[in-house]
Amino acid sequence: MSYDLIALLMFSSMMILLITGQRVYGAIGFVAVIFALFLWGDGGVELAFSANMKLMKWYPLLTLPLFIFMGYILAESGIAEDLYKMFHVWMGPLDGGLAIGTIGLMVVISAMNGLSVAGMAIGASIALPELLRRGYDKIMVTGVIQAGSSLGILVPPSVVLVLYGMIARQPVGKLWLAGLIPGLMMAGLFIIYIAIRCKLQPHLGPALAKEERNISWGKKFSLLSAGIIPLVIFFSMTGLFISGYTSLVESSAVGAISALIAAIARGKMTKQILHDSVQKTLGISCMFMWIILAALAFGAVFDGLGAVKAIKTLFIDNLELNPWVILILMQLSFIIMGMFLDDTAMLVIVAPLYVPLVKLLGFDLIWYGVLYTITCQIAYMTPPFGYNLFLMKAMAPKEVALSDIYRSVTPFVLIMMLGLALVILFPQLALWMPQNVELNR
Amino acid sequence: MPKVIKSYVRIIDKLNHGVGLFAMYMIFFMMAVLLYSSFSKTFSVPALWTLEVAQFTMVAYYLLGGAYSLQMGSHVRMDLAYDRWSTKTKARVDSITILFLIFFMLVLLYGGISSTMYALKYGETSRSIWAPQMAPIKIIMNIGIVLTLLQTISIFFKNLATATGKDIT
Repeated sequence: MSYDLIALLMFSSMMILLITGQRVYGAIGFVAVIFALFLWGDGGVELAFSANMKLMKWYPLLTLPLFIFMGYILAESGIAEDLYKMFHVWMGPLDGGLAIGTIGLMVVISAMNGLSVAGMAIGASIALPELLRRGYDKIMVTGVIQAGSSLGILVPPSVVLVLYGMIARQPVGKLWLAGLIPGLMMAGLFIIYIAIRCKLQPHLGPALAKEERNISWGKKFSLLSAGIIPLVIFFSMTGLFISGYTSLVESSAVGAISALIAAIARGKMTKQILHDSVQKTLGISCMFMWIILAALAFGAVFDGLGAVKAIKTLFIDNLELNPWVILILMQLSFIIMGMFLDDTAMLVIVAPLYVPLVKLLGFDLIWYGVLYTITCQIAYMTPPFGYNLFLMKAMAPKEVALSDIYRSVTPFVLIMMLGLALVILFPQLALWMPQNVELNR
Repeated sequence: MPKVIKSYVRIIDKLNHGVGLFAMYMIFFMMAVLLYSSFSKTFSVPALWTLEVAQFTMVAYYLLGGAYSLQMGSHVRMDLAYDRWSTKTKARVDSITILFLIFFMLVLLYGGISSTMYALKYGETSRSIWAPQMAPIKIIMNIGIVLTLLQTISIFFKNLATATGKDIT
């Protein structure tokens, strides 16, 4: 049997197993080991365990449980509530101002944490009820929170870029720097959209009522102090890392500990909350780690088949496609797959396939890391599957139906595609920072 | 369900619950090691052992916690069709498809044992300046894999019980 055919068979059997609804890591892992045994017999039997050893030696992965833990602590600590109040008061008088403020809140959360779950939890539990109470359109609001929280994986620190860095063998520090400008640009695009839309249709996001705006300037300025703790956490983590005092993983530990200290100092940390956070952290970390373990095994079989070379020959030599066309096709197929595949699984399956191809085509892998992350963001939000969609449904008040959530993402997905196109057309958006900021390590 | 199976499920669930509670607090150990590492780097001679100890802790964290995470139902499924089935249908399908998961765990364990045997026989050490023995962490990894395997079998029995409408507790 030819190797292309085996590769195809691997994919289709994985899809079938995934559809049965068995745990994702079981489906991927089983296909990996059964094909390894079938292809290499005794030589393939240690494949799964070697993947385990590979996972262990992959140092940056340690940031994953630490960031997850930090996200839960931040959500519980009350820091987010103060931040929300700050944005609320300062942005409230504008049409759509609270929605714009929510995007601001999400950017700050993103700068403290590397996953989108933290922003989602904070947005849905703190911002969403307030916005609905003030007559904001529910479809508008759920879209804002989903789009905003997805910035968590683009603005440094980012766990997705850590995962990408392992597969592409690129320094995580540079990848993080590369994500900064596109992340802020994306936030800017969201804000412009909200401002214009709410100017045209003020009923979607009414400005705050007069009596609510009557706040003294002294109070307004004292609310700004809410921004201090996030700033301290950001600098103690990303700052220490970029200036070379701590390594990547050490900084994530510093970040987790500073969030914990902030929560304790504010008197929000009870034994029960700590226990729950630790427990949820184990659950989510294990979910990720076991999928990555299975996907590494899967990828190893795939590498062994030389499937990437075959795909490249097909595209370049047989179909005579331009590398740029291939790149755009890849992003499109990524988005389409994102609609149907579980996002975590996709993250670790797609990267080993696409990254070597991108490298063969001669593109910059740091730049592609940003494209990859933005595409992931889009995939996170596209129906019918998307983590953010389901998380949103789970966390939002009952009046928000799944169909509302599905409808809410459309404009934001379009904006993100615009952002993606901008980064493709102007690579300097991503590359300027890593080229001009010297990392002291 | 026969009495043996009932007590198997009860004992394994209880054991893994305990191990999981232990594993989940290892995150604080990870943080402590990493914090020490950054202090030693900034204020004195960088410690050589912290990197690997942190890695060992992480691998123990997710392998020893694997069974407990299964108990908590943390693992994602692709729920396009799955979500629409009745509890009974879910259990019926699961009790077949979990065999694939069990097979994967068995292969993982087989590889683990052979790798550990190698480490014990030749006194394998890590290729770093600190050069710790690899056998102890590999043994811990195998314990985690065995416990997770036992948990999947316990889940298999539970699925089977639900599918056939029998009582297991």
